[in-house]
Order: sequence, then structure tokens, then C-alpha cells
Amino acid sequence: MDNPRQLLKQYLVRHRWAYLVSILSIILSEIVMVQFPHLLGEFTDALQAGRVDGRTLWHDTALLAVVGIGYVVLYGFGQMRNGMLGRQFEYELRRKLFLHWETLSTAYFRQRSIGDLLNHALNDVRSVRDALSGGLNILTNAVFLLASTLVMTFRTVSVKLTLVSMIPIVFVPFLVGWLGPRIRNATRQAQEALSDMADLTEESLTAIRLIKATANEEVEQRRFTERVDAIVRRQMGVFRRSALMQSLIPFMGSLAFVIALLYGGFLTITREIPLGSFVAFTLYLAMLITPLQEMGYVFNYFQRASASLQRLEVLLTEVPDIRDEPGAAPLGRVQGEVVIHLDAFTYPDGTHPALHDVRIRVRPGQTLGIVGRTASGKTTLVNLLPRIFDPPPGSVFIDGHDVRTVTLRSLREAISYVPQDGFLFSTTIGENIAFSKADATREEILEAVRNAAFTEVLETFPDGLDTLVGERGVTLSGGQRQRAAIARALLKDAPILILDDSLSAVDMNTEKQIIANIRRVRRGRTTLIIAHRLSAVRHADWIVVLEGGTVAEQGTHEDLLRQGGIYADMYRLQETEQGVTA
Amino acid sequence: MNSLMRLLPYARGYVWHFVGVILLVLVYNGTSVLQPYLVKIAIDQDITGPAPNLHGLMDIAGLYLLVAVAGLAANYTQVQLLQYAGQSVVRKIRIALFSHIERQSMRFFDTNAVGRLVTNVSSDTETVSQFFTNFFLSMVRDGLSLVLIVVAMYQLDVRIATYCMGLIPVLFAISLAFRRRLRERYQTTRTRLSNIIAFLAENLAGMRIIQIFHQEERQAGAFAQLNGLHRRASIAEYRLSVLFNRTFELLGNVAVAAVVWVGGWAVLQHAIPFGTLYAFITYIRQFFQPINSITQQWNTLQSTIVAADRIGKVLAVQPDVAEPVHPVALEALPPIRGEVRFEDITFAYTPGRPVLHGVSFTVPAGAFVGFVGATGAGKSSLMSLLTRFYDPQEGRITIDGIDIRRLRLADLHRIVGLVQQEVHLFTGTVADNIRLFRSDISDEAVVAAAKAVGAHEVIERLPDGYQTRLFAKGANLSMGERQLISFARIVALNPPILILDEATANLDSQTEALVQTGLEAVAKNRTTLVIAHRLSTIRHADRIVVLHQGRIVEEGTHEALLARGGLYAELHRKSAVDAVGTGAAGGAAR
Repeated sequence: MDNPRQLLKQYLVRHRWAYLVSILSIILSEIVMVQFPHLLGEFTDALQAGRVDGRTLWHDTALLAVVGIGYVVLYGFGQMRNGMLGRQFEYELRRKLFLHWETLSTAYFRQRSIGDLLNHALNDVRSVRDALSGGLNILTNAVFLLASTLVMTFRTVSVKLTLVSMIPIVFVPFLVGWLGPRIRNATRQAQEALSDMADLTEESLTAIRLIKATANEEVEQRRFTERVDAIVRRQMGVFRRSALMQSLIPFMGSLAFVIALLYGGFLTITREIPLGSFVAFTLYLAMLITPLQEMGYVFNYFQRASASLQRLEVLLTEVPDIRDEPGAAPLGRVQGEVVIHLDAFTYPDGTHPALHDVRIRVRPGQTLGIVGRTASGKTTLVNLLPRIFDPPPGSVFIDGHDVRTVTLRSLREAISYVPQDGFLFSTTIGENIAFSKADATREEILEAVRNAAFTEVLETFPDGLDTLVGERGVTLSGGQRQRAAIARALLKDAPILILDDSLSAVDMNTEKQIIANIRRVRRGRTTLIIAHRLSAVRHADWIVVLEGGTVAEQGTHEDLLRQGGIYADMYRLQETEQGVTA
Repeated sequence: MNSLMRLLPYARGYVWHFVGVILLVLVYNGTSVLQPYLVKIAIDQDITGPAPNLHGLMDIAGLYLLVAVAGLAANYTQVQLLQYAGQSVVRKIRIALFSHIERQSMRFFDTNAVGRLVTNVSSDTETVSQFFTNFFLSMVRDGLSLVLIVVAMYQLDVRIATYCMGLIPVLFAISLAFRRRLRERYQTTRTRLSNIIAFLAENLAGMRIIQIFHQEERQAGAFAQLNGLHRRASIAEYRLSVLFNRTFELLGNVAVAAVVWVGGWAVLQHAIPFGTLYAFITYIRQFFQPINSITQQWNTLQSTIVAADRIGKVLAVQPDVAEPVHPVALEALPPIRGEVRFEDITFAYTPGRPVLHGVSFTVPAGAFVGFVGATGAGKSSLMSLLTRFYDPQEGRITIDGIDIRRLRLADLHRIVGLVQQEVHLFTGTVADNIRLFRSDISDEAVVAAAKAVGAHEVIERLPDGYQTRLFAKGANLSMGERQLISFARIVALNPPILILDEATANLDSQTEALVQTGLEAVAKNRTTLVIAHRLSTIRHADRIVVLHQGRIVEEGTHEALLARGGLYAELHRKSAVDAVGTGAAGGAAR
């Protein structure tokens, strides 16, 4: 996989001419810029010596203006180019990151918090970009401004004066380099305190009934006040440090100025340097502080970017654990026979097998019902089929082919899937349903909607199929989401359909309709239904009862009732358990 | 603007801090204006004067150093003082806002989303704090330096100074125009970045779906589009900011050239000494920074006003449910026995659409009474009235004969306890969650409460027992365990009257039994009103009240109601048929 350092190097090489142009233009701008004090100094001397008349004054002024404008244009150009190049890299890095994430398996996302991943995509990418655009600008600017200023002062003023006056300000970059990270750290802590307070507020207001009912308002106020006090404390910690930096840097400048005044004044009085040089030097000195200060910032910039690159490297070098095996062949036309011959399956992050000794055979075109308690392994089992998690080799077969030996693409094309949470994207309902088939006709979509018993709900939405799902549109209930997800899966019309407890949030009546529709449209094609209401699977050709990760019972509905085991117990309980779903 | 003014009283205790800041800024600005002036004196008197004077030079240098040290000290102290005052003001606003929100009655929370209130408390106040720090400082410091520079220029030479004044409106105009557009572009970039983040968050969460449906390319295309839009906005924003900064710099350089032109003539004609020209060159550069920063504060002011408006709106709301003017002194009364009486209660959430119509009933002290009825029958509304989350439009509610509107809200809530369907956990330890962070409930009391409801063994099994940290959002406890914690809370608080809104969640049979035992322990020794979702819970109740569309339709024991063959009997029959709905297969299968 791509290493982000490599990526950065390639990017820099690919854009080497563009970078060369922009860096050159910044360098050129510095060379122009340092003429400014020099010109002023010369002008001063000429004025003193009475060598100035109207014509030369006009000439000098025009020259000053040209230098001033030239610098701004050149520097602005370079700065702008670098900024654009940095943003282009930001774009490419984010794109790379997303493409990479698309290849990684569910196991990967299970082990990481999405918040962390977003943080990488947001902040790490940005800090690399900042180093590449702002950092590079400042670095070029600082280095060359410093170099050319020094050259100018050495040549035109006095080496001695320059070196002596510079003593206080050489500490500036160290000061920035030392205090900068401390300020950043303190700022982070202050932000944490702030989000602590926000969290508490949210927690407290969400539970406002409880707080009121227990007359606990004052306790909550005390807890809130503690958080607010922590914010004040930590903010002051930030300001103690930043005030130190803000006051010390100009002070260093003033110290340098005192030396320049004293020593430069002395040199001027003793006629070692002309007044013009002295004047120019005081201006140069002011020009020196900024780049020195920026050197400190640049150091921090690059340090941060380097840490970010390291984190991105870890992300981007993650090898997808589920991919085509060498020599994988496409699945071809699928009849829909599913054979599971699994000795044990353990999650990549697990210690105990989640499934063991599972032997199931589904003939082409049959419907298999899977039932069992929470955490009995139902979802795990069906996840092995489309290789959401990888089964051990030689344990899951479709039409006699080990799922691990066929290409992922052909395998997943053969399977349609309804997740139990009914996951939908924040686009329109129509786009969600046609997710696997962008060119689906309206009729096809509406047909799928009908079969998922979603038509009536859809009609209550303002824009029908074009209604947006999520924050900007309608919020669907769990049952509505499940039905939309069923429609999406039905539209895909694959040889194998998996319903992972996808009817848990719809009412009895709707469930009946959906099951009847599925039985109709899926006639002759393999369907796997996980359910926890037995009514959803009682008509299946074969029912498997999972218990503790293994098959406890299997057979037809009647077989299982006769056996009088877990299934029969569940059936009896569900028939008689009392409840008011009022 | 008015709303901002209304927040000013919070700064009252810090007036002297702000005065101090002004004085320190005066000192600091004075020192920075003094510095070029000192150099001018050195040049004109000691270096180029008729008699170059090394001693004078040393004096000036010493003075310069003193001035610099004074500047350092003034600046450092000023930042500390200002930030302390600003932070303290915001602290006061935050605390006032939070307690104001908590004082509101339920109607307020029905119409204000928690997310927005959190924004009010955390980020709106943060924005307002900038008014008391950055904005205030900029007005004082930059305003002052502008004034000082102008004064200094006029002192040096009236004519050149007047020329320079022409720059001020130009600079302000340019700067304001740029800033407005910069702000727009900044916001565009921000919005587009958050679109990227939202897209990523959703797609990472749904990566499984993308992969199973094999839509990687399509989603990558969608991402590229958002990513590209952000890049465009970001480049546009950057370009404008470069343009802005360089334009300012350009003007600065041109202004120096202009001063050289005008001042050079003056020197040629011996109208001014050279030192004056030098000082002008320095001053003209110093001109730009304060103007730039003042225009920046214009943006700050705008967002501050918006934030202050939002805070002001919240602070202006008065709670519907008012504290009594002459509350009953609870201490003077005999201990509460717990008789609850509803007299002819009519109540509507929205005027004209009552959800309760003339409801009356009495619950004798110590009784266990169940309330049943379909969703919307008015069960929860009844209970919200007893806790005074809302006040009824007609009728009254009494406890031991005292109208609850005559009790202090805090007293009422000590008498009436509530167990909600949904159990709220707070970030903190198990023990803190039971005692609700109160200092007056000891560890022993917490353990005793947990034991009473059968939660002790469950808690002991947690990794750190009672000190196990819980998280509000992270579900590190099962539904049943959460229920037990909420029971333990009530036992620890020990109110004489308890309202129990039974949880509808499916529990596996073992937990179910545990919760049932806990419930019985909680109900012991107090008046208990249960909103039942499972008829089994109230089968043995002293009395069952059946509600239908806001009216009491039946009342009696389980047996009596069954015998009557009315609504209760029907509910009972239906619940048996619908039983498959609350499957024993165990909660939401994973």
C-alpha cells in the first residue's frame, strides 16, 4: 500500500517545477525586499550630504515604490502557488484515505472508533497540508529573508554591529520552539475541559426529568460549577504561557535595539559608519525578528506534520485482511446451494470461538430459517457467507466453491443482504433503494417498495421516493428503515438473499405481508432468514436453532415442535407470554 | 446589540479589572510609541547634533531599556488581568444560564432541543467571552495606538500628518470589504469540510453495506465530488486572504514611499529635521496593524451579537410552573403519610386539546395502584402533573390534603419519587449514580439501597464494584442492570410516594425475575403508582385504574375488572394474543 511519505515525495517530484517557480519567486521577493532599508539608508546619506534635489528625490521615491510593489507581487505569487499546491495534496491524501478505507473489512472498523478515523482524515491531513503550504512559505521566507538581511547588513552596514546586536534575538526561535508546544498542550487541555462541561450539560439536560423529580438541581449546579471552574483554571494556564511568549518576543527585539542604539550610535559618532547605515540597520533589525520568530513556528509545524504523517502511514499501510486470494476465480452463474462445514470460527479480536461445529446445507432455491437467543451466533454465521468476516478456508461453500477461492466481486454480486439495523445513507429513499442499481427504473423501485410493504409509509412522505433520509429530511423509525433496507435488497435481486433479523422492528401484520411477498418473489431462489419471532421462519424449508455458537436443533417447523427442545419451548413461550403492546 | 448590553451586568464585579487593563494598555502603548521617539532624540541630539555626545546616547539607551522592561511587565500583567476578568464573566454567565435552564419546567424542554441548549451553554458563551477579551482589548489597545500615533504625528509635523490622515478611511474601507468576503468564504469552506466529515462518518459506519452491494466506486465518486468542492472553496478562501494581506502590505510600502517623497521635500527645504522624517517612516508602518485588527473585531462583534441574542432568548424565558409565594413549611407538619388525591383534573399540552378530562381519584397512603390504558390514554400525563412537570388547567392535586402547588418544588420532589422507563446514567461511578452525586448519602446508604433491590451482587460482579465508572452514552450496563440502579436510587432517596413508569424493554427471563424482585422491594413501605406495560406487574395491585382517551373508564382489582368484562378484560385478552410481540427469544438479537 501507499506510504504517505512516499506519496508526499512523489507529489513533490511530480510538481517539482511548480514548486521551483513558487520558491524562486519567494526568494526573489526577499532579495527585492532587503533593498528597501538599504535604499532608505542611501537616501538618508544623500539627504545629509545635500546631494538630494527634486529630480533625485523623485527617482529615489519611485525606486522605493517599485521595490515595495515588486516584493509584494512576487511574494504573494509564490505564497499563493504554494497554498494551492498544498491544498491539492490535501485533496489527494483524503481521496487516497477513503479509497483505502473502502478496501478494509468490517473487522477493521469494529476495532477502531469512527471518531478516531475521522480525526485522522480531518486533522492529520490538515496538519500535513499546513506544513506543505503555510510551513513551506514561512520557511522559505524566513530562511531567505534572514540570509539576505544578514548579507545586506554585513555588506552595507557593519558585520560587527550586526553580530553584536543580534545576540538577544537569536534566542527567539528557541523560545518559540520551547513555549509553542506547551501552549498547544495547555490549549488542548482547556478544550478538553470545555467539552467536559458540554458533556455534563448534555447529560444533565437529557435527564432533566430525573433531576427535577429528585430535587437534584443544586447538585447538578455544583457539578456544573466544578467543570466551569476547571475551564477557567486551564484557560488561565494557556494565557500564562502565551502571555509570556507574546511579551518576551518583542522584549528581545527591544534588547537588540538597545544594543544597536548604543553600539551603532557609538560607531556613527566615531564616524565608523555613516548615519544612513545606522538608520538602515535599525530597520533591518526589525526585519530580523519576524523570520526568527517564524523559524520557531516552522519547527513546530514540521514536527506536528511529521507526527501526522506517521499516524497516516499506520492507517494507509494497513493491509486489507479480506481480499481476493491469489488465483481467485469468478463465481459464474449461481444456483444458490449453500454448504457450511465449519469447525470453529473466532473473531480476529476474540479469544473464544463464536461458532463451532456448524454443519448446514441449503439446497438451491430453499429458504433457511435461523433462530436462537441473543449472542447465539446467528449474525456471525450469515456474515461468513459474503465474507464480511472471513471463514476459515474450506468451511463455507456456494455451489461447491469455497467462498475464499472466488473473487470478492462475484461473491458479493451473488448475495443480497439486509442488515438488522436497516442502515441507510443520507440521500433520498429512492437512491437508497436503488443503491446497487443506479439505473433502476421507477417501476422497479416501486415494485421493490411494494414487496417490502413500504408503500403506505412512503405515501405519507412529502416527496415520496425523493424524500431525503436523515437529519436533513425525514427521520425513519427502526421498522421503516428495515423495510427500506429490504426493498434495497430485493431490488438487487441476487441468487442468495440474507435477512439478518430485519423484521425485528416491524409489527406482526407487516411482518406477515413481507414474509408472504418474499416467499412469492424469491420462489426457487435461496433465502436465509434470521428472526427472533418464530412466525417469520415457520414456513421455511429448514430451520436451524443456534445455541452457544453451535447448531442445537435443526429440521422443519413440525419436526422441531415434535422434538420438544429449545424451539418448542420458544414457541410455547411466544404463544403464551403476557404483554400489552399498548 | 441590546442582548449584549443585557449581559454586561455579569461584568459588574470586574469593573476594576477592566479599568486596570485600560491603564496597563496605556502604559504598554506609551512604551511602544516612546521607543521610536527615543531613537529620534538620539539621532537628532546625540548622534548628528552639533556636539555628538556618547553620554547622552548612553542615557537614552538606558531609558530605552527601562521603557522596554516597563512594556514587558505591562503587557504580561494586562493579558493575565484581562483574561481572568473575561473568563470570570463568562463563568458567571454560564452558571447563571445553566441554573436558569434547569429551573425551567417541562414545557420548555419539550420545545427546546437539548443539543441547542448545550450549544448555548458551551459555544455561545465562548463566543461572548471574546467580547469581553478580544473585542474590548482591541478597542482599547488599537484605538489607543491609533490615537497616539495620530497625536505623535501631529506633534512632529502638522502638514505631513494631515496627508497621512487621508489613509485612514481608505484602509478601513478596504479592510472591511475584504473581511466581509473573507468571512463568507471561510464559512463556505467550513460547511464543505463538515460535509466531508458527515459523509465519511456515515460511509465508514456503513462500509459493510457498500462492500456487500459492491458500490465502492460509486461512493468514491461521491466522495471525490465533496472533496473537490472543499478544495475549491479552500483555495478560494486562501487566495482571498493572500490578496488581502498583500494588498495591505502593498499599501504600507507605497505609503512609506509617499512619506519619503513628501518628507524628503520638507527636509530639503529645512522645514523639518531628518529625525522627524525617520519617525514618520516608522509611524506610517505602525498605522496599519491597529486598523487591520479593529476591522477584524468587527467580525467578532457580529458573531458575538448573534450568540448573545441566543443566550438572551433563553434567559428571558420564565418557568411555567411557579414556586409558591407562601410555601407550606414542611418541617412544621407531621411526617407525610402519602395519600394522593386528584380532584377534577383537566389538562392540555396545547391549549384546546385536552389529554385529561375531569379526572378524579384517591390513592390511600401506602397503597399500590396500577394505571393501564393504550398509548395516549393519559397515564404519563397524570404522573407528570403529580411531579408538577406541568400544572393542570383545572382541578387540583393534594398530598395528605395539601395542594401540591403550595409546596416548594424541591420539597414536593423530596416527597414524590420517580422511576422512569428510560434509565439515565451519568458519567461517574456506580455509587455516584445511585446517590446522584449527593454528598448527604453515605457509601453505606448506597450499599444498603443496592442490597434492598437486589443490585448488590450484580454491582459486585462489575470490574471495580461500586467504583466502576459508567458512561452516559456507552452502554456498559445491560437494560436490567440499569433498571436495578434506578431502583436503588429511589431506595436511597426514600420518598414516601413513588411513581413507577415500567420499562417496556424486553428482558430475558432471569433479569426479568431480578427486576421484579427489585420492584417489590422498592414499592414496600410507600405509596406506589405504577404505569404498567405488562399486566403481570399489576395483577396483585390494591387497585387498577383503567384510562381511555383521558378519562377513567374502570377502577377495581384485577379480578373485579376481569369479571366486569370491560376494557381491562379486553386488554388482558389481547395481551395474550400479542404475546409473540414481546418475544422470549431475548431482546434485540445481535
